[in-house]
Amino acid sequence: MREPPYPTEVKPYGRALVDLARRRDEVLCLSGDLTRQCEVDLFAGELPDRFIHAGMAEANMMSMAGALARCGHIPFVHTFGAFATRRPFDQIANAIAYPALPVRIIGFMPGVSTPGGPSHQAIDDVALMRTLPNMTVVDVADAVEVRQVAAAVVDVPGPVYVRLKRGETPVIFGEDHVLRLGQAEVLTPGGDVALFASGMMLAAALAAARALGEHGVHVCVINVPTIKPLDAATVLAAAADARIVVTAENHTIIGGLGSAVAETIAEAGLGRPLRRVGLRDTFAEGSLTAPYLFTKYGLSTQALIETIWSALSRPGPVPDAPATPAESGEYSPV
Amino acid sequence: MSAMAHVSAPGTQWTVPDLRELALSIRLRAVRMVAPQGFGYLGQALSSAEQVAAVFAAARPGVDRLVCSPGHYVIGPFAAAAELGLLSDEAVAGYGQNGSPVEAIGTERSPVFDYTCGSLGQGLSAALGFALSDRLRGSGARIFTMVSDGELEEGQVWEAALFAAHHRLGRLVVLLDANNSQVDGPVDSITTLEPIAAKWSAFGWHVQDLDGHDPGALSTALAAAVQEDRPSVLVCRTSTVHGLDCLPIDADGHFIKLPPELAAAAERELTGKLEALRA
Repeated sequence: MREPPYPTEVKPYGRALVDLARRRDEVLCLSGDLTRQCEVDLFAGELPDRFIHAGMAEANMMSMAGALARCGHIPFVHTFGAFATRRPFDQIANAIAYPALPVRIIGFMPGVSTPGGPSHQAIDDVALMRTLPNMTVVDVADAVEVRQVAAAVVDVPGPVYVRLKRGETPVIFGEDHVLRLGQAEVLTPGGDVALFASGMMLAAALAAARALGEHGVHVCVINVPTIKPLDAATVLAAAADARIVVTAENHTIIGGLGSAVAETIAEAGLGRPLRRVGLRDTFAEGSLTAPYLFTKYGLSTQALIETIWSALSRPGPVPDAPATPAESGEYSPV
Repeated sequence: MSAMAHVSAPGTQWTVPDLRELALSIRLRAVRMVAPQGFGYLGQALSSAEQVAAVFAAARPGVDRLVCSPGHYVIGPFAAAAELGLLSDEAVAGYGQNGSPVEAIGTERSPVFDYTCGSLGQGLSAALGFALSDRLRGSGARIFTMVSDGELEEGQVWEAALFAAHHRLGRLVVLLDANNSQVDGPVDSITTLEPIAAKWSAFGWHVQDLDGHDPGALSTALAAAVQEDRPSVLVCRTSTVHGLDCLPIDADGHFIKLPPELAAAAERELTGKLEALRA
């Protein structure tokens, strides 16, 4: 793994989808009028016959995707996560999830990664998609994983929801990192805390673990790219080895990673204090910048440090999050 | 969709010797399907019987697709399939019964058609998906799509209508059952859909407005529709009590009550009409 500030990549998904589609004739690309923003302008340019512009009509787009999948195609459907999951929920339920069809719904701009306000902020997409039977839910952490995600999900028998950061994507993992669908991955040795993170919160989780480690708190960071089905064995093993369990998600704390982890450890009878870091049952707001929102809504490295420090009842001042200023083209977690 | 036959499965065969007779048989079969429960979606079969018969006559067995957008209308295609030998009497007898895959509101387990959905207004979009797939693969299959007028209140239908016209999905033929009936009463007492034909026309569709209980008019209109390189819609003017005179004048067309005495009267009336037609 790299250290922050991380280098970034542009359009790792869009490039990878074209590469996959060149190998796999079944792959189709659907866009809901956010073609460049969802990186599939590359696909439209290189494979125009397999690019379907559905326009700004998400309900129709999802139902069409279901029928295309019924015919043996593998449609990858693209729009922002808020529009991919809220408006066409009924269509996804009836035309995609219930028949267990291989539609891949790619929702860009997760959580408060956009300053575009509550209409554009997908803070409940994981929860919505996780409730649907047959649905796999994926939230990958960095460009190395993003590059692999299209190929990783293409042959899942049923539908998949993937949430992807838009724009400059940090490169956190080494080039040899392999995205293993359905598996959570322990990244750092722990002892005190099992810190489960998904998607954009992984960078903050790693930074918090580093800062806490310098103050004698040993945090096991577990990357959870697949939120459903959850890798219960890894979750339980990591939780059993820790005094407290903490989850970190760029999403409401209701129904997402935190809920999935809570359900798993509770049903296993594993009693551990649990703290869920995420949006605390609130909509966010429009702003100029995303980092402002990560700070304001408790999704920062500092918020993770404070949560863990307090849950462990540690004495003394709360450690400060490390300052890792990012130059243009670099990324550091808030 | 199901191990039981559906119309576009290769090798499926049937013939429709007489539209009028098939429509009558659909009505009688639907009465028999609903009678054990004493209530059900008989009105949908009564308003769409001629459309269903005409589609089975126009569709090429084992090639063309059938979409039944409103899941409440599946009784009509089920009844037709039973009459044409595509669905066993045993399967039809399970209509709406516990544990039966022949559910009263169509589902993924339903036999006969290629797509249906009980959440309304979604079938036309599925038909577009089929049409896009057929275009990508160079298939000449047609997609006959049953839509109800109540569904026009759902915005998704118009999203689909825009898309179909823009992409000139000419293999698409919609039979719009304009029976002016929805759960809360006459459609026109709830939402003004008219002018229905002008709306579809303005969206770029080939439109024909006709008596949906006239088998000859339906056959002629379908023959014209399949020649079009634009998507086509037949606005079929119908009634949910058509062809069953014994129904009370105030019968609720969305969900008709059919107690045993009324079921017996309906059986007598339709059996008599069929015998007269065959005589």
